[in-house]
Amino acid sequence: MYDVIIIGAGPAGLSAAIACREWDVHVLVIDEFVKPGGRLLGQLHEEPTGEWWNGIEETKRLMNKAESLDTDIRCGVSVHHVEKANDGFVVHTNKGNFEAGNVLIATGAAETAAPVPGWTLPGVMSIGAAQVMTNVHRVRVGEKGVVIGVNVLSAAIARELQLAGVNLHSMMLPAMNPVTKEHAHPKKVMDGLSRIAHLAPSAFLRFGSRFTKSDFVRKVATQFYPKSGVKMWGMPIHLRKAVTQINGKDRVESVTVFDVTADGKLIKGTERRIEVDFVCIAGGLYPLAELASVVGLPFQYLEELGGHVPVHNEKMETPIDGVYVAGNITGIESAKVARAQGTVAGLSIAKKHVAGKADLDYRLLQATEQVKTIRNEATIQFHPHISEGREKMEQAYRRIVNA
Amino acid sequence: MRNNRRIVDHPVLGKLSDRKEITFTFDGQTYTGYEGDTIASALLANGVRTLRVHEESGKPRGIYCNIGHCFECRVNVNDEPGVRACLTEVKDNMVVKSGRVLPSPLVSTVNDTLPRTYAEFIEQQEDKKGEV
Amino acid sequence: MDHITICRCEEVTLEDIKNTAKKHQCTAREIKLRTRAGMGYCGGRTCRPAVDAVMEQVTGEKPGHDIPLKVQPPVRPVSLSTLRGKQDEK
Repeated sequence: MYDVIIIGAGPAGLSAAIACREWDVHVLVIDEFVKPGGRLLGQLHEEPTGEWWNGIEETKRLMNKAESLDTDIRCGVSVHHVEKANDGFVVHTNKGNFEAGNVLIATGAAETAAPVPGWTLPGVMSIGAAQVMTNVHRVRVGEKGVVIGVNVLSAAIARELQLAGVNLHSMMLPAMNPVTKEHAHPKKVMDGLSRIAHLAPSAFLRFGSRFTKSDFVRKVATQFYPKSGVKMWGMPIHLRKAVTQINGKDRVESVTVFDVTADGKLIKGTERRIEVDFVCIAGGLYPLAELASVVGLPFQYLEELGGHVPVHNEKMETPIDGVYVAGNITGIESAKVARAQGTVAGLSIAKKHVAGKADLDYRLLQATEQVKTIRNEATIQFHPHISEGREKMEQAYRRIVNA
Repeated sequence: MRNNRRIVDHPVLGKLSDRKEITFTFDGQTYTGYEGDTIASALLANGVRTLRVHEESGKPRGIYCNIGHCFECRVNVNDEPGVRACLTEVKDNMVVKSGRVLPSPLVSTVNDTLPRTYAEFIEQQEDKKGEV
Repeated sequence: MDHITICRCEEVTLEDIKNTAKKHQCTAREIKLRTRAGMGYCGGRTCRPAVDAVMEQVTGEKPGHDIPLKVQPPVRPVSLSTLRGKQDEK
């Protein structure tokens, strides 16, 4: 029996494992993917300082530390159930059942689909799929493609595709429907982008960082409205064009595009066809919390955090004793925040096993403060009101635990 | 042709290191991949996008999420069904097969004379006796 | 636009969902049970947010704090032998 089983070997899971191992906690880390690193592995963007955030290098750093501490990490392990049993938990996987006194669920996020007619054709993939194929597997996703859905994540990945020499025609909006809603509304998309403009990483818009927020909003307001779009390294980002259909018999062959009004309505007579062989769809991320649900955790719906989030506090504890969460499952933020949260979770777990160490208490406090510091320094914010969301979650935790 | 779809050199990630070649089959055809490839990445590098067809409609499907969430890439590997191509590393002599359309009890077949209830079966038997 | 597939696994379209809602005047949960949207091979992982968005528009139900459709184990497809306790040979 392990002291803790960590489900997910991404930045949160790995740093939690490291913190646990530093206090000699008996750990098992498991992950579905073929190698450790989670979605950090495929990340690659330029920070405003000019340095590259290289997911492969960051993962190596974490793995080296984990390995030096003799951490048991097993990939290719898929968890289908977690249940409370006797004095701990049983984690059911495709490689057998494992028991532990505690469980850390660090399963990250899944992508929200922005359905466009024809999106089931081979050649259409999520924007995350393109990132993994390009940076992790080093395979070109196609000869020429488009990205549907304009947000911070899709722009960062579009840049990654360009860097890798993949021919991207443009980025556009999806056509309006009950699911795409605000992703298809030019003004709402622009508002979303301009709100984070002052934090814009150079990966997104080089000129943005040179202007104050209000200047940028002005520039954006005038520049994003033209039909020709705004170019990012030669590739247009369109907020006034929408894809109504992805065409092809057995695979992607083209996309049908319309010009749209500032409210996202199709303008008659502007239909055009663009020949492409791949399409990336970007609708945002939501916490992948199915195991949290299965083990019996309560949830809170918080838009700021990305949707339904398992209830937890800033020590990464949940209302169920012995169950912890960390990383994107707690709310969509950056890998740096996930990493810092993992350290908090690891120390919280260690505290249960190492009695009366004042040093540990202090480190845990430091770690929770570190998460806030990193959050405030973030260059990529997926949601402008993330701190408010975190505060609401803290209140919900207190309410539920004291009930 | 094999390297055409591979990002052999990258301005930040560097050159792809030399890797051992792996030979496997997909629907009877032989393909080459490299150690570390998933079935999905090896097939995509060979220009293959369709990994299965929808079990009812027969419409072609390929990878969608590429991280094991959507199961669109499920293939049959060495006689094991429902294996995610995006999460499985290619191994030498791996036999991979695409998913097919499954028989559906609600779809009418060409042979519409097949009895659908026991009563119909008895009726048909009586009719046959009558014919003879 | 209504021919658009919302649930990829079960090939449930926007039209299917809207028609079911109109015909049966039921809750979001019942629509999912009738159309099978969100109940296919992937366990709703791909379409759940999309189905919820359509539900909100069709029934007016706003997302509550609980996850709309109960998540039941196993959350990954498993063979009967795995459920029985037999490990994968690999």
